[in-house]
Amino acid sequence: MSVLVIAPLLVALTTVVLTLLLGRRPRLQRATSVAGAVGYLGTVSVAVWTLVLGPGAPGAAAYQVGDWPAPFGITLVLDGLSAFMLTIAAGVGIASILFSVRYVTPENQRVYYHPLFHALLVGVTGAFLTGDLFNLFVWFEVMLIVSYVFVAFYGTGHATAASFRYLVMNVFGSALMLVAVGGLYATTGTLNMADMARRLATPDAYGIDPAPVVGLSALLLAVFALKAGLVPFQFWVPSAYTAAPAPVTAMFAGVTKKVGIYAIVRLYFTVFAAARIPVDVPGITVTSPLEFLAPVLGTMGVASIVIGGVSAVGQDRLEGVFAYSSIGQVGFIALPVAIAAAADPAGTLRGVAIAAALVFALHHALAKGLLFLSVAAVEDATKTDRLRDLGGLAGHSPLLSGAVFVGLLSLIGLPPLTGFFGKFLAFDAAVRGLASGPDTLSALALVALLLGAVLTILYATRVWVDGFWGRETAAVEVASVESGQVAVLVALAVAVVLVGVGFDPVYRFAETAATAALDGEAYVDVVGLNGGERA
Amino acid sequence: MSVALAVAVGGLFAVGTFLLLQRDLVRIVLGVAVVSQATFAYLIAMGGIDEGTQDLVPVLEGHGGGAPEVADPVVQALVLTAIVISFGTTALALVLSYRAYEENDTMDVTEWTE
Repeated sequence: MSVLVIAPLLVALTTVVLTLLLGRRPRLQRATSVAGAVGYLGTVSVAVWTLVLGPGAPGAAAYQVGDWPAPFGITLVLDGLSAFMLTIAAGVGIASILFSVRYVTPENQRVYYHPLFHALLVGVTGAFLTGDLFNLFVWFEVMLIVSYVFVAFYGTGHATAASFRYLVMNVFGSALMLVAVGGLYATTGTLNMADMARRLATPDAYGIDPAPVVGLSALLLAVFALKAGLVPFQFWVPSAYTAAPAPVTAMFAGVTKKVGIYAIVRLYFTVFAAARIPVDVPGITVTSPLEFLAPVLGTMGVASIVIGGVSAVGQDRLEGVFAYSSIGQVGFIALPVAIAAAADPAGTLRGVAIAAALVFALHHALAKGLLFLSVAAVEDATKTDRLRDLGGLAGHSPLLSGAVFVGLLSLIGLPPLTGFFGKFLAFDAAVRGLASGPDTLSALALVALLLGAVLTILYATRVWVDGFWGRETAAVEVASVESGQVAVLVALAVAVVLVGVGFDPVYRFAETAATAALDGEAYVDVVGLNGGERA
Repeated sequence: MSVALAVAVGGLFAVGTFLLLQRDLVRIVLGVAVVSQATFAYLIAMGGIDEGTQDLVPVLEGHGGGAPEVADPVVQALVLTAIVISFGTTALALVLSYRAYEENDTMDVTEWTE
């Protein structure tokens, strides 16, 4: 049973090796790559169903790599939260690889495109599954090294410059993460996340002084915010997103960014939540890492929504609009997390807010995946993505435009699309936060959410009116849209509608994930640490 | 010992940060490398340096008992992993800086036009 936990990782890794070996047989390589993505989706589905969601499922499972018992070996854990994120990764992954096969030129696909793509999946999967702090760093690096190559993929001046900046930023981020990991090891004496949660909950029993944890967690927060592209760490996002191949940008926006959010939720809510650490330095007086997280992440979220939204309105290229919109949307995910951090641990608000963030993450992955792929299809057909050169696409290619329309409406948050529920739940969390005890964070969050919603309507309308309505421009008149690409887009649009229409099971999945994220004791149990000291 | 390590870590971070803030591509890559080295020294320091007893280093049991000073084996393993990752990343950074120079015709990052 527990081998299912590591199965998605093995499938992705096997596909990397196979696609590398088949480099000289392009058709077979492409087929293998698609089969690998299908296999990945299948494995994730089976693992999630038998271990987390299905009837009689244990709800979570752990796999001890090499049979080394926790906390000494590396533990992989598949619980509700990991399952939710893996499902997002598998969904976006398959859409993205199907689109790649029809979009990226055959010559470029042969240049290690497919092995790299699956290596990205390996890194993401590992980060979602691992239960070991240092191992999380390693998976981050796997993911990042692939990302550097993808940003530089086209080798133009813009791409190499973007990749170099992205690399330097992230190497510094990784150094900070190592500093935090080393500090946490010195403080708690362990790297296993479950063991760390247990030790921080009862520090006296283990003879440790958890005082430095708040400061170290702040370092981790900076690193994860960098990965998620939250303001003030957002500046790498637009250049990296516009430089990478479009299907990979869909993966960056839909999956890689979510790794940052996932790591924040996992570490703060599962691992650090039980710690009671009074900190009293000038300007900061808190009693736990979560209390520290709430205002900081809240401010980052508000700033992301405002800066991302305002910048998106002013962009003159489709890709730019959506890249900046991505910054704003991550703010929408961060705000509910901040509200959850400020909430009373005993109340229901914390779970509701985390579920809201997860639903928004799912919505963003689907809608932004759809929109980035649409930009690629438009650019492929018209050879431009400048709004001033576009126009009249709605009449020229109704199917493509229909898919974009669904994506934009979901971004705006019209029922019954997925985006409606994402926004609705985020507002719900903010209002509940206000109701449970009026504080500045919830009030500010509510204002920012409203402002963000208005900005989203603005730029979505602008994209639609400028690009798709009106008279056909010269570029659009000669455009021929590739039908295989449109098929993927339509399938994604249908998914956006279906997830919204059949939202009930999706929400229950998100609730399961939120419960798993908040239940540190259950996490410790799953890893198998409560059976007494094994040392 | 811990003072020496603290000075080394602080100095390496300072030099690395200084290099990272330069305009020249190669200096930035060097800065990347130095900052990585700083974190390795820091990790070793964080594990603590103790007298090597058999509790701390089980392999000493069959190899002649204690050693005067050893670093925590766990952080040694971590640093080993991190060195490999850092090596790969630095190599990629060098390749990228060369390609960026070819494409943009300048080693000065402030002159990049996009």
